[in-house]
Amino acid sequence: MKSYRYAVIGNSAAAVNACDAIRSLDGEGSLAVFSEERYRCYSRPLISYLVAGEVSAHGMYYRPARYYQNMGIDFHAGVKVTSLDPAGHLLVTREGEKVKWRKLLLATGFRPFIPPIEGLEEVDYLTFVDWDDAKRMLRLTAKPVASLVIGAGLIGMKAAEALHARGSAVTVVEKMERVLPLALDERASAMVSERCRRENIGIITGQSVSRLEPRGGHRGKAVLEDGSEVPFDLLVVAVGVRPRVELAEEAGLECAGGVLVDKHQRTSHEDVFAAGDAVKAMDLVRGEPAVNALWPIAALQGKYAGMNMAGREVPYPGGNSMNAVEFFGLPVLSAGVVNPPDATYEVITRQGDDGDYRKVVLRGDVLVGMLVAGNIERAGILTSLIQERANVRRVKGFLLEEGFGHIHFPRSVREERIIEAVAGLPKPAGEKAGAGKGKARADRGKGRAR
Amino acid sequence: MIRIVPREEYCIGCRLCEIHCIVQHSKSKNIIKAFKRERRPVKRVEVEEHGHVSFALQCRHCEEAPCITACLSGAMQRDRASGAVVHDPERCVGCWTCILVCPYGAIRRDGEERRVVGKCDLCPDLEVPACVANCPNEALVLVEE
Ligand SMILES: Cc1cc2nc3c(=O)[nH]c(=O)nc-3n(C[C@H](O)[C@H](O)[C@H](O)COP(=O)(O)OP(=O)(O)OC[C@H]3O[C@@H](n4cnc5c(N)ncnc54)[C@H](O)[C@@H]3O)c2cc1C
Ligand code: SF4
Ligand code: SF4
Repeated sequence: MKSYRYAVIGNSAAAVNACDAIRSLDGEGSLAVFSEERYRCYSRPLISYLVAGEVSAHGMYYRPARYYQNMGIDFHAGVKVTSLDPAGHLLVTREGEKVKWRKLLLATGFRPFIPPIEGLEEVDYLTFVDWDDAKRMLRLTAKPVASLVIGAGLIGMKAAEALHARGSAVTVVEKMERVLPLALDERASAMVSERCRRENIGIITGQSVSRLEPRGGHRGKAVLEDGSEVPFDLLVVAVGVRPRVELAEEAGLECAGGVLVDKHQRTSHEDVFAAGDAVKAMDLVRGEPAVNALWPIAALQGKYAGMNMAGREVPYPGGNSMNAVEFFGLPVLSAGVVNPPDATYEVITRQGDDGDYRKVVLRGDVLVGMLVAGNIERAGILTSLIQERANVRRVKGFLLEEGFGHIHFPRSVREERIIEAVAGLPKPAGEKAGAGKGKARADRGKGRAR
Repeated sequence: MIRIVPREEYCIGCRLCEIHCIVQHSKSKNIIKAFKRERRPVKRVEVEEHGHVSFALQCRHCEEAPCITACLSGAMQRDRASGAVVHDPERCVGCWTCILVCPYGAIRRDGEERRVVGKCDLCPDLEVPACVANCPNEALVLVEE
């Protein structure tokens, strides 16, 4: 029986960043990766770029070809893990092979949610979540086809963009009143919709598909709530994703709409860790665990899970929802709360004449959300303030300015952020006394209480 | 690892650092050509200004760099030898996720033919980075760790 110090299930953002972290602390311990997909680790969000011809197959890979070799990883490609026995420290593959492990990471990610629409099962529809889906889409759009996308979330809109780039006539149907309803606010949604319509992408919102009439193979006709009909040669279903928790659930690990973990990314079994889209972990803005199905969050959780697996106990700093998109020349970035649920939040917006749109959401003196469309440079400063739960009372009037930055912080705060926090650097010669670490920290308390 | 540290009491906001940064990252590295004839690269240093205070800021080459963890493509990486955070434009797809997470606003959109970002690379071909070398007031200094 094979036996590893570390076993990782999954081979994407969370898994690979966990492997990197494990290897940075433990160069020796045997390490295995089990992946249902056959590919070397690739960047899932790039499938739309692949279909649109913006990246080559070679450009899809997140790590170099020799990654597994260089890192001393036993890579089990195309191997699905079908059951787990945490108490026995065992996993079983689809082929029936049993493998022992000391520490295990569940990085099983998400699977697309397939809604129960009448007639759907008789249509050869596509999902748009992995490289194989992208290959299918490329094949099926070799000649331009009329395509219908159900769902205008991030994945649906990315699918629509990719199909459009392939010369397809595209229609998107969304049940909610607007596109990207979670990532964007009303105005930014309208800006994106307008760009899409200008490109002749049909956007139908506030309507769901009541039933589908198959017409053989990939073809069919969708009947919407109001009775209108949309015929299609190709159908993409993108109404949402769900954490892949079945392995964890069957193994008796605690799950509740995602694998539950403590602050060290540890599941209810002490030797089993979990990270990524399958997991409910601390959300800094909501102040409670949540699933944030995002690449940067999966990568960060993987990194912390890996460190903890290798024995360095470090708490996951927490994540928050965030989105970076660009549709037809309009970039939009958002983070935290963009659609405040009630009037206890303060919202400040600014609309520039050049189509530039900015918005910040505050709760008391704390910045909890931001959205920037058009001129997106430097928006990361706002994201970091959200993540730090910083008190922004003193800089509130400047938050929406394009030139907003460290210059608006009290000097001690910006010195700590720019000079000290990054590296713990010695002060360059000639610096006045009094701006030393102790003082900066004390002032920070006053300026931006945590 | 080298880092560039701003000294705001010496910065007069002349923005020569920005200009020399652009020239250094241009195709010809010639000031006239860079500004007048070629595609002008994006500046990788930015002077922040408010009232009488100003200072120049570029990528801090963070130890726990959020841009590396967040990068969708793997284009943002730590250079093992120098410790710097390096960006590979070939692998970058211009998704702007790094811009979304950089706490210093140090990454900008670059490129015209395709979407890609640009940020401070510490001028690997120069002894001293262009912004530091060309600041008339030594308001940018190089610190070696
Ligand atoms: C089209 C599209 C666009 C996206 N764009 C963005 C974007 O712009 N920004 C962003 O932040 N996020 C984006 N995302 C989301 C992002 O891809 C995910 O958040 C990220 O991939 C999550 O990584 P993960 O490591 O948790 O798991 P996943 O990427 O879901 O990978 C999990 C892996 O585990 C494998 N696996 C699962 N169970 C088993 C098992 N039992 N045995 C073996 N292997 C198993 C799966 O086959 C899969 O390969 C996008 C997603 C899609 C589909
Ligand atoms: S680009 Fe920003 S986040 Fe990345 S290392 Fe530089 S300062 Fe840090
Ligand atoms: S814009 Fe480029 S460097 Fe930045 S996150 Fe996206 S792929 Fe990475």
